[in-house]
Amino acid sequence: MRKSLSGAAVALMLAAPAFALEAPRKLVDYAIDVTVDPDKKTVDGRETLKWTNPSDAPVAELRLHLYWNAFRNDRSTFFKESGGRLRGDKADTSKGWGYTDVTSMKWDGVELVKGARFESPDDGNPDDRTVLVVPLPRPVAPGETAVLAIAWKAKVPRVYARAGYVRDFFMFGQWFPQIGVYEPKGRRRRTDSGWNCHQYHANSEFYADWGDYRVAITLPEKFVVGSAGALVDTKTAGGRKTLTFEQKSIHNFAFTADPRYVLVEDVFDPAKDIPADEIARASKTLGRSEADLRAGFHKVAIRLYLQPDHRAFDRRHVEAQKWALAWTGLWAFPYPYAQISIVDTPEDGMGATGMEYETIYTTLSFKALSYWPLNRWVVSEMVTIHEFTHGYWMGLLASNEFEESWMDEGINTFTEFVMVDRKYGAYLKVPPGIGFTDEEWNRAQAALTQDHDPILSNAWKYAGEGSYGRNSYPQPGTTIQQIRLLLGEEAFWRAFRGYAERWRFDHPTSEDFLDAMRAPGNPLVAALILKTWYGRGWVDFAVLDARTTPDDGFTGFDDADKPVNFDPDPKKKPQKKPDEKKHKGPWQSLVVVGRDGDIEMPADVVLTFKDGQTVKRMWDGASGWIKYRVTSSSPLVKAEVDPERRTVLDRNPWNNARYTKKYEGPSAAAKGRTYALHLVEILLSTLWGVL
Amino acid sequence: MSTLSTGLGAALRHRRLAAVLWLSLLASALVAWYPIKALFAAFDEGAFREALVKGWDSWGILSFLVVERSQIGLVLAAFLGSAVAFVLLQVFLTGGVLRALIANRPRPVFRLVVAESAALFKANLWATARFALSSLFWLGLLVVLPCAGLRKLATHAPPHGGASTVLFWWALLGGLFVFFNTGLRFDLARIALARDDARNARGAYRIAKQRLSGRRVSGLRVILFWLVVFLGVQALFTSAGLHMNPRTNGAVAGLFLFRQIGFFLLAMARVGFFASLLAWEERRRPAYSVMGSASGGTTWNVSESIWARAPASAFPETGSSVTTNGSALLSS
Repeated sequence: MRKSLSGAAVALMLAAPAFALEAPRKLVDYAIDVTVDPDKKTVDGRETLKWTNPSDAPVAELRLHLYWNAFRNDRSTFFKESGGRLRGDKADTSKGWGYTDVTSMKWDGVELVKGARFESPDDGNPDDRTVLVVPLPRPVAPGETAVLAIAWKAKVPRVYARAGYVRDFFMFGQWFPQIGVYEPKGRRRRTDSGWNCHQYHANSEFYADWGDYRVAITLPEKFVVGSAGALVDTKTAGGRKTLTFEQKSIHNFAFTADPRYVLVEDVFDPAKDIPADEIARASKTLGRSEADLRAGFHKVAIRLYLQPDHRAFDRRHVEAQKWALAWTGLWAFPYPYAQISIVDTPEDGMGATGMEYETIYTTLSFKALSYWPLNRWVVSEMVTIHEFTHGYWMGLLASNEFEESWMDEGINTFTEFVMVDRKYGAYLKVPPGIGFTDEEWNRAQAALTQDHDPILSNAWKYAGEGSYGRNSYPQPGTTIQQIRLLLGEEAFWRAFRGYAERWRFDHPTSEDFLDAMRAPGNPLVAALILKTWYGRGWVDFAVLDARTTPDDGFTGFDDADKPVNFDPDPKKKPQKKPDEKKHKGPWQSLVVVGRDGDIEMPADVVLTFKDGQTVKRMWDGASGWIKYRVTSSSPLVKAEVDPERRTVLDRNPWNNARYTKKYEGPSAAAKGRTYALHLVEILLSTLWGVL
Repeated sequence: MSTLSTGLGAALRHRRLAAVLWLSLLASALVAWYPIKALFAAFDEGAFREALVKGWDSWGILSFLVVERSQIGLVLAAFLGSAVAFVLLQVFLTGGVLRALIANRPRPVFRLVVAESAALFKANLWATARFALSSLFWLGLLVVLPCAGLRKLATHAPPHGGASTVLFWWALLGGLFVFFNTGLRFDLARIALARDDARNARGAYRIAKQRLSGRRVSGLRVILFWLVVFLGVQALFTSAGLHMNPRTNGAVAGLFLFRQIGFFLLAMARVGFFASLLAWEERRRPAYSVMGSASGGTTWNVSESIWARAPASAFPETGSSVTTNGSALLSS
């Protein structure tokens, strides 16, 4: 046991420094020995956990996550919330259950397990076993390091939610007894110190403190093992092997094992793998020299653990990984670790797919996606980029995914679509040029849909899985894109990189990110944040009316009661209306533009006349509508609001323009109807092959 | 003359028959016209009009799919109506088409096809029901059950291993083989009805079985040949139609006409297929010989009972057809 030396002073320093850190504050170290029995799907483990009290108050009890108890039975909070389903995968309720049992926990030789109890701080579920509370014989003093010897046994669940097995494929995530986070006063803007140790929820991920890991894994020799760490030792005996991995400065440790893995190795070399046009763009936008941007880059070993039937994907994943390393290094900061491991999950183990851990993540390959035209869909590359970049927004800026899931998923969705669209041009594109971008795909899921929650909420408190998904992924991603368009490229990316560098190796909150976005001083951004992160704001621009009529001068009685341009004699036939086609002008036009929803946004309004002339006016969008009356020599043919589509949150972009009867251009409707009718005929004529 | 060249010749000669089939396709598609018209009205009223005239607008289309999803639902429902209309029309028309081909009458055909179709409709409907049931039965027995068994055996096997590869190919090729077989018998049953070889679907299926006995492979070859022709025409015109990307109202009309030519060619392929199958069936009718005698009489050497009656409306007594055992020889 390490005694407290610095007390409150150390605690204060650890709480919330007002400057960027060069390395994380390490509060937990783990030395783990684990034996995996792949036939029985069981785990026997021992760990030495060193935990330092970061606060200025003594801590009388410890709290640990036993995540695999979410799979213990159908009464766990995770199972109740998810119904045994996650992202389309279903729990095997016949024999796929799993658990973690702590069999011993000693501190200074005193057994603590007997006094331990389960608590459910979030929902009070008496049957949930994912948070273990361990009262201590004496409090851990401020700055003191407690050294705990823990033994546990676990049953691996059949995978449907991140961790588990299928056949002899294993994904070990959140697999060992892991201490919760004791947040000192000031950390993440807390006003008092206390545990932050939530239950495992269907719609939540994780939160932990940094530390160093040394993990020894014993299992049959035939298994290929990939992990968050670097292999430092291998011992073999009696058909089994013990692999020892080490990794410093991470806040979780995951590993995978499968005898079928094909290991593909490559190296990210900044001298070759940073695209010249991208560094030039970053240099110009961020106002930094290329040499400055290159500083901190280093070679990174890439290890891809590939399923043998997915060989067609090896270069696709590696190239996407290299691009992500280059892009994040330029626009956030260079990746600090020496290696990254990519786990390609088998197609019957999709429950493990698309999950991030530090320095290791799982990606997606489907053999069918290697054939035309599905190979034009860069979903595999997108998942690789997405999961790797989690290593920044969940990993290196260690946000609390229980309480602020958008900080990881939302920022990550934004960076994902920027990266995917820049490298691949489109998310899906098939000849003759039919497709869409990743940004548009996310925008469609966010801006065009209704919702019942603001972005900011605890992950388990959203209205449901749909609301959690929307408000954690596409809605914040698209709203950040909206902020980017409001701030402009330079201001936005400087603020964005500033946020990343300031909160590197730290635990930012929502307000830390939002402060960075408010910092350039655009009041529209501040208002937008209020409406979206803290409200359910939306916006819909529309051209409500657009008409144009010939201006034939004054008609009616003048002030002297004289008839002008008409004959009031009831016996005479009324004058014929002049032929509009022969009218040489002038023309009177009326345009009404409206803004629905409670987000105030400015927008351009463009009026186009038949002679090709256009008039552009900026509308501040503050009121609900605006009218334009125009006298022109040529009739109005079109009125459009936001023609450059800068309001990406616009709920219905289709009502943004109106054409008057004077428009004589070709019909898009006729084209659309013709293609639709042909599609119906194609489908029907296919029935000739049956009948 | 081979059955395939007979079919190709008939496809070119019986253009009016193809026109009847093409019209049935267009008419069925037009069942969905009003919802389609309403759905795409937004294209001329909204912000993406000019972009869509120029070509593909990804955000325009993606947002259209979301914003207009309820209207799209209506179009899908109308499409189902189209499909039902099309299926019934084809069940109805096939009998008439076959009789027109048997009569080898390139024109006039419309009234003939409708009259003969009406005469055969009930029997053809039963034959179609039998085809649907037999397809389900054989697909279940020979494809679904073995695949389910293999899948169960391979539960613990890794994806894309030997078992799953066998499963995939068996499901695909086995499924197609079974489907083509049941389809071939269905078509031959309809031919038997059109030739009046049988009075009802049951008898027609029995005769179809006799025709197929020992000659399945060559029959399947006819199906495969016309399937390739059909898919080739479909792929060519669909691809060309997509690449045309018309930007004026005139060009849109041109695209419409161009695609209708493609569908007309598909209808010709269908006529060609039936003509090939009729020729194939003609050659496999029961053994008999037609022998001339000095007295001009005919001696029948029949291995099975053949009762044949030329349908009155299909075979006017013009003397232009050579009648053997009750049916007209194609191209004779």
